[in-house]
Amino acid sequence: MSKNPRDSDNNLMMEFMAEEIDPFSNVRQRGPKRWLTAHILQGSNKIFVLMIFSGTIVYTVLSSGIMIIVGNAIDEFISGNSTNFALFIVLIFAFGVASPFLHMINGLLTETLAQRMERDTRHEFYTNLLGKSQSFHDQQRIGDIMARTTNDVRMLNFLISPALSLIFESFIGLIVPILFIILFFPTQLLLAPILFTIFFLITLRRYVNRLGPVSGRLRMEFGQMNAILNETLSGIEVVKGSATEDHEIRKYFTNAKGYRDAFVEQGEIMARYIPLLLVAFAVTLGLGHAIFLNLEGGGLEIGQIIAYVGLLSNLRFPTFISIWTFAVVRLAVSGAERLLEAMSKESDIDENIKGQTVEIKGGVSFKNVTFIYPGSAQPVLHDINFEVQPGQTVAIVGTTGSGKTTLTKLISRLYDLTEGQVLVDGYDVREYNLESLRSQISYIEQDVFLFSSSIFENISFGKTSSIDQVINVAKEAQAHDFITKLPEGYDTEVGERGVQLSGGERQRVAIARAFLADPKILILDDSTSAIDSKTEDKIQYAISNVLKGRTTFIITHRLSQIRWADLILVMKRGTVIAQGTHEDLIRTSEEYRAIFVKRFDLEEDQLLKDVAVV
Amino acid sequence: MGFHLGLASEEYDRKYRDRDLVKRVLAYFQDHKQSMLIVILFLTLTSLANSLSPLLSREAINQLETTRDLGYLILLISVIFVLNLLGWIFNFFRQKYSAQVIGDVVLTLRQDVNKAVLGHDLSFFDKYPTGKIVSRINTDSRDFGQTAGYFTQTISSFLVVIIVIIAMFTINAPLTFIVLGMVPFIFITAFSFRKIARKRTLEGQRALATVNSFVQETISGIQIAKTFRQEQKLYDKFLGVNNQSYRANLRRAYVFQFLFPILSLVQAFALVFIMWIGGLNTLGGQMRAGDFYLFLQSLWLFFFPLLSIAMFWPNFQTGLAASERIFALIDTPPVVIQGRSNIILDAFKGEINIQNLDFSYIEGVDAFGENIRSGKERIKVFNNFSLKIKQGESLAIVGHTGAGKSSLAKLLTRFYEFQGGSITIDGINIKEFNLKKYRKKIGIIPQIPFLWADTLENNVKYGKPSATKEEILWALEQAGGADWVEDLPKGLNTNIRERGNLLSMGQKQLVVFARTLLEDPSILILDEATASVDPFTETRIQEALEKTIKGRTSIIIAHRLWTVRHVDRIIVLDHGKIVEEGNHDELMQLGEHYAKLYNTYFRHQSLEYIEKAREFTKTVKEVN
Repeated sequence: MSKNPRDSDNNLMMEFMAEEIDPFSNVRQRGPKRWLTAHILQGSNKIFVLMIFSGTIVYTVLSSGIMIIVGNAIDEFISGNSTNFALFIVLIFAFGVASPFLHMINGLLTETLAQRMERDTRHEFYTNLLGKSQSFHDQQRIGDIMARTTNDVRMLNFLISPALSLIFESFIGLIVPILFIILFFPTQLLLAPILFTIFFLITLRRYVNRLGPVSGRLRMEFGQMNAILNETLSGIEVVKGSATEDHEIRKYFTNAKGYRDAFVEQGEIMARYIPLLLVAFAVTLGLGHAIFLNLEGGGLEIGQIIAYVGLLSNLRFPTFISIWTFAVVRLAVSGAERLLEAMSKESDIDENIKGQTVEIKGGVSFKNVTFIYPGSAQPVLHDINFEVQPGQTVAIVGTTGSGKTTLTKLISRLYDLTEGQVLVDGYDVREYNLESLRSQISYIEQDVFLFSSSIFENISFGKTSSIDQVINVAKEAQAHDFITKLPEGYDTEVGERGVQLSGGERQRVAIARAFLADPKILILDDSTSAIDSKTEDKIQYAISNVLKGRTTFIITHRLSQIRWADLILVMKRGTVIAQGTHEDLIRTSEEYRAIFVKRFDLEEDQLLKDVAVV
Repeated sequence: MGFHLGLASEEYDRKYRDRDLVKRVLAYFQDHKQSMLIVILFLTLTSLANSLSPLLSREAINQLETTRDLGYLILLISVIFVLNLLGWIFNFFRQKYSAQVIGDVVLTLRQDVNKAVLGHDLSFFDKYPTGKIVSRINTDSRDFGQTAGYFTQTISSFLVVIIVIIAMFTINAPLTFIVLGMVPFIFITAFSFRKIARKRTLEGQRALATVNSFVQETISGIQIAKTFRQEQKLYDKFLGVNNQSYRANLRRAYVFQFLFPILSLVQAFALVFIMWIGGLNTLGGQMRAGDFYLFLQSLWLFFFPLLSIAMFWPNFQTGLAASERIFALIDTPPVVIQGRSNIILDAFKGEINIQNLDFSYIEGVDAFGENIRSGKERIKVFNNFSLKIKQGESLAIVGHTGAGKSSLAKLLTRFYEFQGGSITIDGINIKEFNLKKYRKKIGIIPQIPFLWADTLENNVKYGKPSATKEEILWALEQAGGADWVEDLPKGLNTNIRERGNLLSMGQKQLVVFARTLLEDPSILILDEATASVDPFTETRIQEALEKTIKGRTSIIIAHRLWTVRHVDRIIVLDHGKIVEEGNHDELMQLGEHYAKLYNTYFRHQSLEYIEKAREFTKTVKEVN
């Protein structure tokens, strides 16, 4: 994705998923490690990796080389020879300055790689999210998606810098001193570093395996602690009202205790990090070994002993740093797994690109429709039958969970049904080109979503429009009046940082948006609360405007809308228990009648009184 | 993680003095005296063992130039081996026990601050957002614990450095000065670095936050984007913010990459000087090879300890700031305090008498050190307000927003403290009751139903944990019927998720009714929901309400038509004063405040209104 993705000038979302723009789609299926490797090695990154590798080797050689020079220098000084004195000092200075300099360049390269990794994986993930079907998004919790785009992607940055770069540095830091010993010292002095390396690798592996689960538990406990406390404080009024403070304090304590236990356990595992002991042993063993060789007259000068022990001391850094580098790798790999898991969930819906692209009139009929959510046994909708003429208004009533929303989602194929048929203008919805079908169906959600941009941009979101067009539709939607009263009119920023609109106002902005899009079928989930009759009137008026000339499904609690609908579907537990007009239903349906009788429970004269007052 | 060097940590304005804070922090450690002694003991031992090793190594190397006594050398090496082992073991115990002490202290701290927070009345929670309190209780205490761990680490480093430096001085003072010459450079580097790093980190974090909120927003609104096929637009915007974050964070990361090379450079200069001066000394015969060894080793040995000592002060301040924020929370005194009499009654008759009540939302001591918005809070909600409610009477309160309806309910439940006048129940001042027992006898149904991420059963019996299954079902039955429970995947045992999100708005309200019924309160205070629910549930809520208010003193902040027509008495509140009272019919006859309110808020819920709306729309349709 380092190839500039702006190059794609085609607007269709399909393009995002195409091979040439999404080069990782194949690698993704081959597991997190392959995927990560592909990202690390993509494009110009390869050169970076190569430079980092060689840079690391060079500066490790330089810093080990210093030890050899120092050793030789000391030997000369002891023997009283001062001829090369200046040369030694200059060499040490040169090596000493060159090594950090290279280290720095290396660091900059590594960071570039790490930041690129974060940018590119986030880019890939986000692009993938945009290309996902609505049924995917319905099933995801936004918090979960956010955790992946923030924390998990971040972990991939940490994977490169510092984790992998330090691991590579540690690896070279183990190899180079050993090579130097082979080159400059008697072979038997390899004993200490070789023994160390073997035991180091064994104990490190055990350590990493033990630390992993505990660190995981610690993070989980912390998350839980936050969640529990958050809940308690959000419900503080209930806690106080029920006088259950002690219960809540105990609950929190149990949780905090769990965190404490994991913390102590982690502390103990980290304290028991054996490699630190091993490296100390290795240095001492090396010292003893070298001294022994010197005593034996094995030709090992004192300066060389110092150089040798100095080389062994260089092993301290890889040992020390490994306490956590591998833990980071583990975290990053599981982060990558979570990212891949989300990305690999592909849409179940067949796009049917070759399908019909005709303009629809808006007739809808359901024939024996049964729908079972994927992976569930219980049908959400069972044997649904009804028919709607173009331009009619259908009110759907029923308790939450009775399947009202799901029913509407079958029309635009946000889900595909399990049995039966959904027909639009007499054709099965699966025969349409999906893009074409959906482009003629609009939703106005119960919880209207506005982007945090201006009112103008929100209304013209679906269709580039002039300000006059926007004002026109806003008037139709009864939104113009309140918009002009806002501080900056149509340029007022809404959403998070801007003005907070009330539920009724948001709804009218959404209705204006739908006017511009001009769909043939409109689905309106109208369950917002309105508190005063003025707002109520405006919303009624806006809705009555928007449903003119199109087939409309309204999920509603407003009796006024239920009453004027051409068809009312009364739903209960996934079935339509009654359907017809208000006049039919009040006569034929016991359940439907119950709403009106129970709800108002009014005497005739009471009604008359009310009318008199008005 | 690894490098906890506090390089990018924030600075805080503080109110408490360092000395007081340290004293209080130490008081927490006091309870773990024994463990602390162990930690200190092993800390000292570790430092001794670690500093003795290089000194003995020097001795061994020096021996090679003089006596070359094999037995003595073997002894020295063996002692170093033992020191290595002991050093590791001592360190193990130090780390283990300090993890325990820190874990326990953090736990106690959390427990204390949590207790303090839960002891507060609602004025406290109005002032401080939940997220902030949670972060103080959990995150600040964790940061505090990290600093404490870091603290022992630094002390240990410090001890090693001191011991070795003293030894080095006795061997060669000038070279020791060279090694110590690194110190100011390390300090200066670390400090100036911190400044830049903080700035860059802040920029990086901001850029990242922009990306995150962009993703959050666009994914939340994905359905809109899909309906209107605007994915490309979002994608282009994303590229912009993502690249911006990339650049900002790259700059931040680059800054961090300079630190260690610069410090290594300092180290390299020290090395050159040691070789230079040490070389001249050796040539002059005043210095031995072992001394060289010791000084060279010290360069590496001191590197991290010196860095952590350099960063000690800022880190220490970060830890103190975290502890201050926690203590500030603990120290904020609660406003609602229980009277001395501590009266406990099994049940109230339910006669309420409010006399000459004065109340305004006055701020307590500000725990968060933020500027209190003055003015608005000082406006009096009630001034000399009086109201009598008879035993078993149902009373509806109506009025515009800000009339004081909710405030009245919250004062009765003692969620807030009033400043003047008195409230008595059955003739006893409510301040004299045992606070918790008192609240238990008052059933409160808030406007927005709050449920726990727990099973339905536990939610219903939240106020009465001893309730049996039969009682729970009875309560649900009373609250409009329990048949919907069977539709849940696991019935009563269904986890209804965060805030009860598995249930519909109406069902949530029914559960809250059941919860309140199970508590069997003597007095009911109900703040009716304004949100509309489906017509089926609506009728159930009416039934539930009817049963709940029967025979109970009930105060209802009314939003529903049914309610105002069924209560014994309605009072109309306006700016904290009763402007009208009576029943629905009487007040409608009067044709003033109530009649106006009725036309604005209640009438459109009536059948008659709907008929008119239908006519209205018909005309609209015809006109068009």
